[in-house]
Amino acid sequence: MQRFREKESLKKVRMEEQELIRQVQEGDEMAFSKIVRIYKDKIVNFLWHLTGDYEKAVELGQETFMRVYFKAYRYKPIAPLSSWIYTIASNLAKTEMKKMRKYFVVSLEDIQNKYAEGIVFTENPANSELIKNVRRAISSLHPRYRIPIILKDIEGFSQEEIAQILQKPLGTIKARISRGRNYLRKELEEGSFKINLS
Amino acid sequence: MEELNLLKKLERVKAPPDFEQKVLEQLSFRKGKQVRVKHLRLSLAGAFGALAVIFIIINIFILPQRGPVEFSAIEKGISPDFPIGKRMMQREIIPIIESVDYAGEIQNLRREPPTIYILEQVSERTDIRIKY
Repeated sequence: MQRFREKESLKKVRMEEQELIRQVQEGDEMAFSKIVRIYKDKIVNFLWHLTGDYEKAVELGQETFMRVYFKAYRYKPIAPLSSWIYTIASNLAKTEMKKMRKYFVVSLEDIQNKYAEGIVFTENPANSELIKNVRRAISSLHPRYRIPIILKDIEGFSQEEIAQILQKPLGTIKARISRGRNYLRKELEEGSFKINLS
Repeated sequence: MEELNLLKKLERVKAPPDFEQKVLEQLSFRKGKQVRVKHLRLSLAGAFGALAVIFIIINIFILPQRGPVEFSAIEKGISPDFPIGKRMMQREIIPIIESVDYAGEIQNLRREPPTIYILEQVSERTDIRIKY
């Protein structure tokens, strides 16, 4: 019964979002403002995990919403609005990472220390050594694996939704998540971090 | 699967408090920019259109109109527009222009036995060349 209720509520949310984006397509700034309010934290968090740079994440987040407004006419209601917004955000992040040649060299910890003062956390940041190492392990992943893992394990998307967001076949996404997790496990268990998970 | 639980435990960040305001500011700035670009494009198109109209007007109504005889005279260098042509006009040399029906000539050629036409310069003037 609870599952049914959840499904119904999700359906309602999606209907509301479809209505909002339809209004944005007509140039309604109020509707756009509502979309920004709904997704700003999620998008900034996603981009922060992806780039490891809070300022960059905020900047890319703003650009994401600009594109949502100006490219709203391109949105087709075959996919949830969230998937479309995440697609824009991840494409922007990928381009930015390519530009900055950050592949493999991002250290979330270093950057976090650099910008720690400006970051707005939802709750007190966990500073345990283990969490720091997990962050480091994620940042060492290639974006090909990092993006699906963040979307799946941090943002909580289903594999089908991730396939939609990244515009890749479901099989590819499953393989990337699996390989990414294996790499992460290896890094945490045997790798340079030498963390005992037990 | 321990590491997956750890991933869920990772801290989450929030957008800064002025995020929404900055987005809306940027939106109005870009909208203004779009309008400016649109106006610029329209004015450029208008300017090019006006230039084209001016060019056509000058060509049709202002520049002197020349017929085929005048063009032929220009090609031969005997147009009164050129100094040589002017001089020639003063010497009362009358250019003779003969129209030739090439299509008819070639049709007649078929019926005639093979003929070799030798074209030669008949003018005594060296500065006027016959073009074949």
